[in-house]
Amino acid sequence: MNALKKFHAIFRGRKLATAGLIWLCIVAFAAIAAPLIAPFDPLEIDPVARLSEPGTPYLFGTDHFGRDSFSRAIYGARMAVMIGLGSVFVALGTGGLIGMLSAYFTRLGHVLMRGVDVLMAFPALLLALVLMTLLERSATNTIIVIGIVYATTTARILFGMTLKLKGEVFVDAAICSGAGHGSILFRHILPNLISPLLVQASFIFAFAQLQAAALDFLGLGLPPEVPSWGNMLSEERIYVTRAPWLLIFPGALIILSVFSMNLVGDAMRDSIDPRFKDDIAGV
Amino acid sequence: MLVYTIKRLLALVPTLLAATILVFLFIHLIPGDPAAILLGDTATPEEVATLTREMGLDEPIWRQYLLWLGNVIQGDLGTSVFFRQPVLSVIGDGAETSILLATMTMFWIVLFGIPIGILSATRHGTWVDQVTSGGAMLFASVPTFWLGLYLILIFSVGLGWFPSSGFPSLSDNGGVANLRYLILPSLTLAAPNAALIIRLVRASMLDVAREDHVRTARAKGLHPAKVAIRHVFRNALIAVAAAFGFTFAALVSEAVVTETVFSLPGIGRLVVQSILRRDYPVIQGVILVIVILYMVINLLVDLTYARLDPRVSLK
Repeated sequence: MNALKKFHAIFRGRKLATAGLIWLCIVAFAAIAAPLIAPFDPLEIDPVARLSEPGTPYLFGTDHFGRDSFSRAIYGARMAVMIGLGSVFVALGTGGLIGMLSAYFTRLGHVLMRGVDVLMAFPALLLALVLMTLLERSATNTIIVIGIVYATTTARILFGMTLKLKGEVFVDAAICSGAGHGSILFRHILPNLISPLLVQASFIFAFAQLQAAALDFLGLGLPPEVPSWGNMLSEERIYVTRAPWLLIFPGALIILSVFSMNLVGDAMRDSIDPRFKDDIAGV
Repeated sequence: MLVYTIKRLLALVPTLLAATILVFLFIHLIPGDPAAILLGDTATPEEVATLTREMGLDEPIWRQYLLWLGNVIQGDLGTSVFFRQPVLSVIGDGAETSILLATMTMFWIVLFGIPIGILSATRHGTWVDQVTSGGAMLFASVPTFWLGLYLILIFSVGLGWFPSSGFPSLSDNGGVANLRYLILPSLTLAAPNAALIIRLVRASMLDVAREDHVRTARAKGLHPAKVAIRHVFRNALIAVAAAFGFTFAALVSEAVVTETVFSLPGIGRLVVQSILRRDYPVIQGVILVIVILYMVINLLVDLTYARLDPRVSLK
């Protein structure tokens, strides 16, 4: 009930953010129910129907192999959600842990945070590109690479926030009552960071979509046969003059999803503890 | 201020050294014999053996690193497998395009980002603010390459106003007029970054507007426009200046994509092509150059920041 109230408070009077949330729910639904919604197999080739215009039976038209763009877009939602959630998981799991531990154990922090500084000396996409040259093209590797890139910013943000909380009275109280380090970190400090972490997660999700699309476009992301929005754009771009719709639909899907996630993140940011607001790097 | 500068310079050294170690290790992380990797697929066993000796690959890894670092300091970043040229000169060939592209992009970012940001902040809460800050967020959500493709489709293929790809050097036929090749790429690159600057100018101006000195300026009857520019914007600019280091990193990342879309002979496309060609010495060299450049820019940004806001260097 409490969560529902908070939820209501965040989105009340924010029509655009609410619309964004609804769109994200649609994307999530498409991702889960892809095999049920998609009218065709996303990999099925129909050479006769190459580059058909949008209409029936091909709602978004077909690509240069004659594959149904609509079905590919639906399965693309699946990849988008997977890459987004996966990157968030990796970034928060590794970066978050490093940031929290570094702020809590000061000596360890000196070492770990210098490591983070070094990784942050590499611009995001460049770091992702370099890591991808060492790894094979696959969904898992794309997630790991994007996750690592955003783990650095996450580490820095959580470092700052944990440091602020460390001096609070409730932490002293926990120490006095004999709580161990693990209990203080994860049962006393972490619960206070859940809301800012959710905001950070929403921005990472949004950035991850753009990075994944860029990697796909450069031919260094998901394997080419995987139906992702980035791959759809990358594969069909040479047909842009003959079949402009092939780029409009996947492009619009990426933009709408990233925009929606940014709107939702922005709305949530306004509702979190004001002490943490400036820590979070978003749009 | 001097003490602060020296402190910051000294703090840079360990990070820089650690970054060079990472860049050095890059070649060793690729599965296979580093000498064979550096020479490419066409190398004979004799060549591989010679390079192994020259690079000291039979020596312990820390000596290899020192050897490599010594070469780097002397400006020797190795030889490109593909071009059969020193890496530094290959990078140098792409520098003109990339530097011009970055400069034009910065021009657009400042031209659009700052005035629209000020407008958004001064009209805070009105429809003007909603449209500009919402629009900015929308632009920050557009994949760079998609925007580039559509700009090409509209302005090159459709209207024929600008060339769609390539960039002849300014010293070639056409001279300064060749800059028209960079108009669409620089606009593509500027869009998401200008959007971030709009959001940032707006947010920091709204922060400053709450401070006491602004209320005083208003109370003494100063014209609202004067308050906005002289008192609010000037102070907000500090936060904006601090963000330019971040903007540089974003520019580098997105330049890789933009230069590929517009087939510009810059450093960004060089990275992508070198990755696809497995030209590892070039990848290693470009990364090293960009990382050093990024650190220097961050240092300059921080020093400017400290100069603009004396509270920083006193801490």
